Amino acid sequence: MAKGLGASDQMLGRVVRVTDAAAPAGPSRRQLIAGGGVLAAAAVALGAGPARPQDIGIADHTRHLGTSVDEYPYGVPSPHEAQVIRRSVPWLTATRESSINFTPLHELEGIVTPSGVCFERHHAGAPDIGPAEHRLMIHGLVERPLVLTMAELRRFPPVTRFYFLECAANSGMEWRGAQLNGVQFTHGMIHCVQYAGVPLRTLLEECGVKPAGKWLLAEGADAAAMTRSLPIEKALDDCLVAYTMNGERLRREQGYPLRLVVPGWEGNVWVKWLRRLEIGDQPWYQREETSKYTDLMPDGRARQFSWLMEPKSVIVNPSPQAPLTARGANVLRGFAWTGNGLVKRVDVSLDGGINWTPARLEGPLLPKCLTQFYHDFVWNGEPMLLQSRVIDETGYVQPTYQQLIDIRGVNSVYHNHAIQTWLVNEAGGAENVRVS
Amino acid sequence: MFGFLDRSLRFAAVAALSLGTGGTAAAAGDVEAGGKVFRACAACHAMEPGKHRLGPSLAGVIGRAAGTAEAFRYSKAMEESGVVWTEDALALYLTKPSAFIKGNRMAFPGLRKPDDIADVIAWIKANGGGAAAPPAAAGAAPVPTVAPARAAVAASAPAGGGRYGLGRPAKPEEIALWDIDVRPDGLGLPPGHGTATEGEALWGERCAACHGDFGEAFGRYPALIGGEGTLAREFPEKTIGSYWPYASTVFDYVHRAMPYGDAQSLTADETYALTAFLLASNNLIDQDFVLDAKSLPQLKMPNADGFYIHDTPDFPPYEPCMKDCKKSVEITGRARIIDVTPEGEDNAVSVE
Repeated sequence: MAKGLGASDQMLGRVVRVTDAAAPAGPSRRQLIAGGGVLAAAAVALGAGPARPQDIGIADHTRHLGTSVDEYPYGVPSPHEAQVIRRSVPWLTATRESSINFTPLHELEGIVTPSGVCFERHHAGAPDIGPAEHRLMIHGLVERPLVLTMAELRRFPPVTRFYFLECAANSGMEWRGAQLNGVQFTHGMIHCVQYAGVPLRTLLEECGVKPAGKWLLAEGADAAAMTRSLPIEKALDDCLVAYTMNGERLRREQGYPLRLVVPGWEGNVWVKWLRRLEIGDQPWYQREETSKYTDLMPDGRARQFSWLMEPKSVIVNPSPQAPLTARGANVLRGFAWTGNGLVKRVDVSLDGGINWTPARLEGPLLPKCLTQFYHDFVWNGEPMLLQSRVIDETGYVQPTYQQLIDIRGVNSVYHNHAIQTWLVNEAGGAENVRVS
Repeated sequence: MFGFLDRSLRFAAVAALSLGTGGTAAAAGDVEAGGKVFRACAACHAMEPGKHRLGPSLAGVIGRAAGTAEAFRYSKAMEESGVVWTEDALALYLTKPSAFIKGNRMAFPGLRKPDDIADVIAWIKANGGGAAAPPAAAGAAPVPTVAPARAAVAASAPAGGGRYGLGRPAKPEEIALWDIDVRPDGLGLPPGHGTATEGEALWGERCAACHGDFGEAFGRYPALIGGEGTLAREFPEKTIGSYWPYASTVFDYVHRAMPYGDAQSLTADETYALTAFLLASNNLIDQDFVLDAKSLPQLKMPNADGFYIHDTPDFPPYEPCMKDCKKSVEITGRARIIDVTPEGEDNAVSVE
């Protein structure tokens, strides 16, 4: 059987070569088709009878062999998708190591973010850590302070879970008005992947948390030694110590070989390159929970430990980086999420919030995960003001900018989850705008 | 339940390996034949005490805890194996080194013939590989089952004592090396002291390039001074003096993450001095105020009471309007006018 297949492959190869040799002199058919816009010529050369649409022909890739196996031992996206990349806003940060880039949400569909385009946020660059050398230390108010190797961590019973991770500062540049013209920049500090790892609870039970242990400090092994305090209730609830994302080991920029997963809470507490967990009786008030990641209110006081990522949604298509290209039938696409659990409903408006229609939620619908929504509509070429509004399982309704600013002012930096508006013009182009 | 069983089994396995009693193939080797077998070993192992090649010296190896020959850099796997090199353990190891201690660095694939193993162990034993201490009396020397230095590890090895018996106990000196966090109440502050005067030169050398001569900062580096009374204004300035609630955080962060790219390079005295410099630059202490583990937690920062926890939703549940929700809509702001979005080539090259 295998022999037969091989022979057949050989035959096919020979046929292709013969056809090639038989091609007329001058530009080869391969060149003609690669040149684009010359398919008609190709069609003529083929001697097709009745006229056919210009984009129909017998392409070279249909005749000649493609790449061999192992051309890419680790596969890469199609070269035609080269625009699907993380992008950054260079003026945002002083250095490139303590910086951020953004997930290309407008190019993504479904709840899984490909690992290579998950946004990056580092405070001192992404370290390269060998798994054999990496250690997790758990100590403080525990019965048995432990040092664990990666191999040992993988011997605890693992779980696999999908979760979104959103930076608390996502949309943080938009408080004072529409500023960045692209959903990648306004909403791209988010990703959603499948993790595998050990429930943090399992590890804490292995060490035996003493009754006085009420807080946990998580620390990274990077050159910022990133630290955050977490209440023990959350640590014992649904946190994971993860070593896998999307089926493979964590990417270096996502914390390889070990990161904390804190479902539904701001990304900063998901400590990457996790090396240490300390149990204590009170918070540590580290830099990232005092100077940063606190929300300044109009009265000059600041909210602290505001970990929850509130219900939020955004239309990614159309959006400034993804204009409409045709009138008639179109599909509006977006993402919704909530740190409270499940997305219950998403409404969309095409007229700036005067009228709303429930969008179609496409599964899987998972708690603390991105949820994909669609709205099918007919575009007649008139300008539109697009909005989406999520309602989660607790009944929390995503607020308008006016509602949010009335309470929080414009200086809180973090936790902007207001309704986004895109203006679509007659040409189909979209722009980030603020509306009354 | 499972964990207990698992741990017992592994303990039993370690114990069995530690109780070398002779009478096995390992004890009946032919020394002369073993010398030939050892030629394969000699590429990496010497018998002279302290002479390490690619592998450690095998002088006194029998009875020694694995991973303990002085001045040899072992793999972590070897160091943490909990194995004691009894003749039986050596025999098992030499059958397939990579399987007996997973992750150890010995590249040798193992000896296939049981006779070769018995012979080479006999040769090693006869050529300085026997127990380091001379036999107290004629006859069979008692082989130590567990080397004293490794006793604690081997006895509970490798269990940390929890349900799954995974991990090893964290040693106090290891915890001390990593546990650098400092709390507002002073917990974690190391011995040492410093003043702003002492910190000034160091600041100029190690901090001012980014943060400015006084902490005013260049470009988008964070300003560390000033901003008093601005928190409720249209454009608040959040600095150490105006915003940070605790001085302990300054000490902790400077030691933990600064200077940028050379973290944890400052001594305790230097960190106290730089913390004092920053507090003095914010007019919170005098130039010669001595900052140490006792004085630092007593400082009250100006914005210490400026933080609170708000853990109820800002918007209680309601059923939102679906039709004719407002009379008209006006566009009040446009990103295109502000025009700060990175575009074109910049986008393409922004990710390396």
